[in-house]
Amino acid sequence: MRRSRFPIAVTGLVLAFLYLPIIILVVNSFNPARYSSRWEGFSLTWYAKLFESPEIWQAVKNTLVIAVSVTAVSVVLGTTAAYALHRWGSSRLQRLHYTLIYQPLVVPEILMGISLLMAFVAVGAPLGLFTIFLAHVTFCTSYVAMTVLGRLQDFDFSVVEAARDLGASPWQSLRKVLIPMLRPGIVAGALLAFTLSVDDFVITFFVAGPGSTTLPLRIYSMIKFGAPPMINALSTLLLAVTLTAVLLSQRLANRRANSVTHN
Amino acid sequence: MRSRRWSSPAEKRYNEAALNSEFLEFRGVSKSFGPIRAVADVSLGIKRGEFFSLLGPSGCGKTTMLRVAAGFEEPDVGRVLLDGRDITDLPPNRRKVNTIFQSYALFPHMTVRDNIGFGLAIAKRPKAEIRSEVDRMLELIRMAGEAGKKPDQLSGGQKQRVAVARALVNRPDVLLLDEPLAALDLKLRQKMLIELDLIHDQVGITFLYVTHDQAEAMSLSDRIAVMNGGRIEQVGAPAEIYESPRTSFVAAFIGDTNFLEGRVRDCLDRDYCRIAIAGLPEIVCFNDKVLEAGKPIFLSIRPEKIHISHDRPEESARRNLLPAVVEDVIYLGSNTKYWVRAGGYRIQVLRQHDRYFLDEKPLRWKDACWVWWHADDGFMLDHFRKDDEALLAVPPQSVGEPLNGK
Amino acid sequence: MRRRRTEWLASLPTLAWLSLFVVVPTLLVFVIAFRPSNPYGGIGAGWTLDTIRALATPSYLVIAWRTLWMSLLTTAICLLLALPAGYTIARAPVRWRNRLLLLVIVPFWTSFLVRVFAWRSLLHPEGPVKKALDALGLVGPDATLLYNPAAVVLVMVYTFLPFTILPIYAAAEKFDFRLVEAARDLGARPFQSFRKVFLPGIRRGVITAVLVVFIPALGSYIIPDLVGGPAGEMLGNKIAQRVFTDRDLPHASALSAVLVLAVLAPLIAVLVLQRKGKRSDIVMGEAP
Repeated sequence: MRRSRFPIAVTGLVLAFLYLPIIILVVNSFNPARYSSRWEGFSLTWYAKLFESPEIWQAVKNTLVIAVSVTAVSVVLGTTAAYALHRWGSSRLQRLHYTLIYQPLVVPEILMGISLLMAFVAVGAPLGLFTIFLAHVTFCTSYVAMTVLGRLQDFDFSVVEAARDLGASPWQSLRKVLIPMLRPGIVAGALLAFTLSVDDFVITFFVAGPGSTTLPLRIYSMIKFGAPPMINALSTLLLAVTLTAVLLSQRLANRRANSVTHN
Repeated sequence: MRSRRWSSPAEKRYNEAALNSEFLEFRGVSKSFGPIRAVADVSLGIKRGEFFSLLGPSGCGKTTMLRVAAGFEEPDVGRVLLDGRDITDLPPNRRKVNTIFQSYALFPHMTVRDNIGFGLAIAKRPKAEIRSEVDRMLELIRMAGEAGKKPDQLSGGQKQRVAVARALVNRPDVLLLDEPLAALDLKLRQKMLIELDLIHDQVGITFLYVTHDQAEAMSLSDRIAVMNGGRIEQVGAPAEIYESPRTSFVAAFIGDTNFLEGRVRDCLDRDYCRIAIAGLPEIVCFNDKVLEAGKPIFLSIRPEKIHISHDRPEESARRNLLPAVVEDVIYLGSNTKYWVRAGGYRIQVLRQHDRYFLDEKPLRWKDACWVWWHADDGFMLDHFRKDDEALLAVPPQSVGEPLNGK
Repeated sequence: MRRRRTEWLASLPTLAWLSLFVVVPTLLVFVIAFRPSNPYGGIGAGWTLDTIRALATPSYLVIAWRTLWMSLLTTAICLLLALPAGYTIARAPVRWRNRLLLLVIVPFWTSFLVRVFAWRSLLHPEGPVKKALDALGLVGPDATLLYNPAAVVLVMVYTFLPFTILPIYAAAEKFDFRLVEAARDLGARPFQSFRKVFLPGIRRGVITAVLVVFIPALGSYIIPDLVGGPAGEMLGNKIAQRVFTDRDLPHASALSAVLVLAVLAPLIAVLVLQRKGKRSDIVMGEAP
């Protein structure tokens, strides 16, 4: 049956549309000119300027500290949640649980940001790295949970039952069978959490305090208060880092790792 | 089924006594999942060393029974006893019972050797012992060369053998098998059937086998429990189940049969009675029940027990003879299935071609013929349910007609 | 009973965390909307309905309306582009499918802020797009592409397009394309079979796609902030303005409460539709 060319044409346009700004951004990061309209040859000046800037380094440090700790906590919380959601899926408790986990995924970031800000203000908590950490864990957990839950759907639970049948206690079967088998999904979730935390702007903007600038916050102030082309270089670097993390995550999430299938 | 050789009369007596005791018992077990009653008040006793099958259609409760025995489901009501001890409240890892899962459930991140040795490692046995036991098992399943492979490198038959070895190495009191051959193709299934039988004979453990395939159950089992809708319809040896079905379900689910409905006329003598069936001449039947005249009765006669021919055979006292018309002829090579109409009934006849007669005139559609069977071959059912007739594959007579002509 | 305990144990950490950091804060927002503003910044004492009444001012209504139609327009455009794209990817040979999907997802995983900034540079009066359009004679030399609703819609479409393509793809992948062949066999033209067979078949994917654009669009903040200017202001940046510039938390809360309700409305509508159709939960498509 002859297929219409129209959908393919649209897809091509869509892809071009999606990549245009990014390509221009990356290209311009190597352009030493102040205004991007003139190309003045390939140069790494802006990258050099980045490395010399102490504020940038401070922001990188803050971002990493938060991202690593957030990843650690949200992986534990998210995996446990996914296990509960899958194992006891249809009970009333789990349906409530699922609705709650779903919230951070659906709610616009500004709502999360402002509600958390209100909460911290009401309690009198000082805004800083810790409040950012708390906020990030809140939404990262949901993403981890969904990722691991997706892997669990394909999971053959009779393997865990087999472990119990052969003498393993519930904890042992978890440790020796379930978690090793879930490892790719858990790592995928961890990478996702890391990326989300590094990239987050809106929520961080609301709950950050003086001195707790993260990389996205620094980029924002650079954009708002004059736009030194350093941003292009910074963005390209950020792009490279998050891209690597996400590609790895996709690889692991999609790998049909070692599941026993019927013949 | 081969029987084991006894070494001495004393041992034989001891073994017989042990053999006759109930080793695995279910007492009044019921289990529901929400509104669905999977198992309804089932009591069952399985003898030590037996190969026992739970046979029934999907949803009959057989898998639930298995899972109750394994400890993955807790019965709502009832107890499970193993060798006299109540194990109902024990978690699965504390029962001396091991399961072969339908999907085999081999640990994908472990080698064959580690899979088989898993139970022993959990039980913290010394490394040397684990090694030797696993080697012994590998010998038994003839996979010593594949010990280092991972499950995704194995074929279906190999996976099944590893699953069996992994369970047996722990020397369980009972081995539970959950439709282990369902995932295999026909040829492989036939081969694995024989292997399972051999393993059972060699190892001598009690097997509880769950399946919906009657051929598997009949060929492997010492005894079968036929289940339907959460209840047990009948328990007995394969021949007993086949030749003396107690209920219409058992008669129709296993193999094919014909159902005739009638009333007891009177009893000829101690062993036989006469039955009046609408539209048919009087039927004589072997009587193993206490009956009185006028009692309604349902008769089950298997197609292979009925004979068919053009010419009328000789009369005989214990022979039931009916005139009929051929409605359908289905040639199957080694035998032919005939559907004939006699009185208001459509009767299935299975005729084996054990001789090739050149001059025999074949029975064709619309031919008048005679069918007959011996009074011993009909069996009176204890219970009859109209719905079970739907299990018989009666061909429709026109396009759009619901199955079984109802 | 034993099973119940483990279920509670496993669910408790996330239930507790989310109740504390999602449910309670949201309730707080609604509560603070009933308090007056403190002229020195922050929350005043006592309770009042003034803050809520202040919502009815024309300027707010204009912004609310603008937010609504811009979000609807964005959703419509995204759908129009995502349907052919999702269809193409689902029909592509398996090897290509994953690559195409990756291509679609990758832009999403670059920093969101950075992408919006990239568009700002692109649409800048000194930027390449303006220069190109100028050269083609499509726009006058004084026209600004930035700082208007059109720019906001453009960048929103750009941002949310991958989100839309994924659920459409997911639904199209599960769709049995032989149904389309059957329709063609019975005489339907390509577009007819697309409309009458394919679209209804991927209904759930379309609903997910709509939700995944419309709701975040309603709450957009960065995009109108960076490329919208005063003419393209949306609820999101109004809320931020109240919080950071005016230090007026009660008004911000009131606006946020409105946003919460606006976001809940489509979600509840979908839930009601689901109940009627007796279908199982909509899956948000795996989070990229």
